[in-house]
Amino acid sequence: MAEAPEKYQQTGPKVKPRQKEEMVYTWPFLVSIEAIMAITMILAFALMATFVDAPLMDMANPDKTPNPAKAPWYFLGLQELLLHMDPALAGVIVPGAALVLLAMIPYIDRDRRGTGIWFSTKKGLPITIFSAIYTAVIEIALVLVDEVVRLPGMPEGSYRISATVTYLLEQTGLPTAAVSWVGSIFIPLVLMIGIPWVLAVIVKRRYQANTREVMIALYTFFFTSFIVLSAIGTFFRGESMHLVWPWELQPPQ
Amino acid sequence: MSLWARFKNTTLYKSIYRNEYPDTPRNQVLVILNSVVLHLHPVKVPRRAVRVSYTWGLGGLSLLMFLMLTVTGVWLMFYYVPAVPGAYESMKALDTDVIFGPFARNLHRWAAHGMVIAVWLHMTRVFYTGSYKPPREFNWVIGVVLFLITVLLSFTGYLLPWDQLAYWAIQVGSNMAKVTPVIGSYVQMALLDGYDIGPSTLVRWYTLHVILLPLACIALMAVHFWRIRKDGGISTPIPYDEDEEEQEELALAAGETNE
Ligand code: HEM
Repeated sequence: MAEAPEKYQQTGPKVKPRQKEEMVYTWPFLVSIEAIMAITMILAFALMATFVDAPLMDMANPDKTPNPAKAPWYFLGLQELLLHMDPALAGVIVPGAALVLLAMIPYIDRDRRGTGIWFSTKKGLPITIFSAIYTAVIEIALVLVDEVVRLPGMPEGSYRISATVTYLLEQTGLPTAAVSWVGSIFIPLVLMIGIPWVLAVIVKRRYQANTREVMIALYTFFFTSFIVLSAIGTFFRGESMHLVWPWELQPPQ
Repeated sequence: MSLWARFKNTTLYKSIYRNEYPDTPRNQVLVILNSVVLHLHPVKVPRRAVRVSYTWGLGGLSLLMFLMLTVTGVWLMFYYVPAVPGAYESMKALDTDVIFGPFARNLHRWAAHGMVIAVWLHMTRVFYTGSYKPPREFNWVIGVVLFLITVLLSFTGYLLPWDQLAYWAIQVGSNMAKVTPVIGSYVQMALLDGYDIGPSTLVRWYTLHVILLPLACIALMAVHFWRIRKDGGISTPIPYDEDEEEQEELALAAGETNE
């Protein structure tokens, strides 16, 4: 006989039908917390503003390109992608798709169970941890691999997976446009769709994940990617955007 | 009668505060209904929703950052000139000639980073607590737009000091937008008002930064807060119907034996 299927394993409180939430007065219970938070934060930021100066460098000079030239930190994840693929893909399509997919989350996961509970189900947290590690390991590995790949015989100064693929395919006599398309668009796309796809499949198999739990895996992929790629861009990219250790980073001129 | 008590009896005091100090249930209700700021809240809130470990106050902090940015931003606007080289010179002058100049600029800069982080973490909290689920789907969508606006606010502000850091960061950032398939050259024209970052880019981004984007942000925040109330207040676990659960279990079991 088949084992009884697992029910929706919600963590946290189970509210019985018609059970009323315990309510408290907004004044003072919420207002006091808000006031304390606001005052603490204002003080913390005022302290920081007193002692840490915002940077102001030399006047802008279009003829003097700093090396490396970096975008603001929240775009460094995208700038990191830029190193590995076609600029239209990294700079426009990926962020655009990310926003659209984010906005679609509630229209895909429509089961109301698990609302108002951190991680919703018993498997939620383990899936989050697994997805974060999976994403971080794969992305760090890919960045490292892309930094060192270079076949003997490739033109001086060219390296990276896409250049290598282009180099190999060029030997076959395919037209150049098609060849560089494979390297800078096709392979990155396959990876960027494949990595979360495989994650979803693993989570479904290994954890018997329901829709909410698959969503948790995918959001964690998104969240971790942002952190990992931004951190690499911020702390590990030096001159000509090559990988360096954070302590080797030169402050921008 | 103490002086304070007498003051509270004056017409002036009573014209400002419409109710007594909120230390009775009646006045605790009235204070929320009577105050324009407090009336954004419901009179009562679920106990589990006011726990700091539930929301970490991150939505409120996003708003606080926005308010701090507005105040310091107005201060900066008094002195800032959106021109080349006036912009850079006014930044320099801020450091030496203006009272609270460096303080206002620093605070504006750190709060700007703070707002991006707060909004990002707020979105993450909403996600992991499943608070986007029906009926809050559309408020989540509004949130995604708010997130985009927050980033754009920060990005447009980044250019304004017109120093090397600003110029080249924006160069990198706008080069990414330039390559938009099909409409790339239009995007570039719209963003830069030219083929390269120049004085007219500065005017354009300044306008976006101090008027258009803040107004859009305020309008969407108004809708966001309204929808929180309309969608039933802050999310709490939904009542769990045990019959429903049992039925589902049966259905699942039936499904499995059929296989
Ligand atoms: C300028 C940016 C934003 C501000 C000022 C803001 C403000 C707030 C505040 C004050 C709350 C009340 C609960 C709390 O503090 O957590 C809230 C709830 C909420 N926010 Fe935001 N928010 C912003 C951006 C976002 C973003 C980026 C998202 C998601 C993509 C989002 C989605 C939601 C949802 C769905 C709720 C209801 C949560 C619940 O009922 O538990 N908001 N927001």
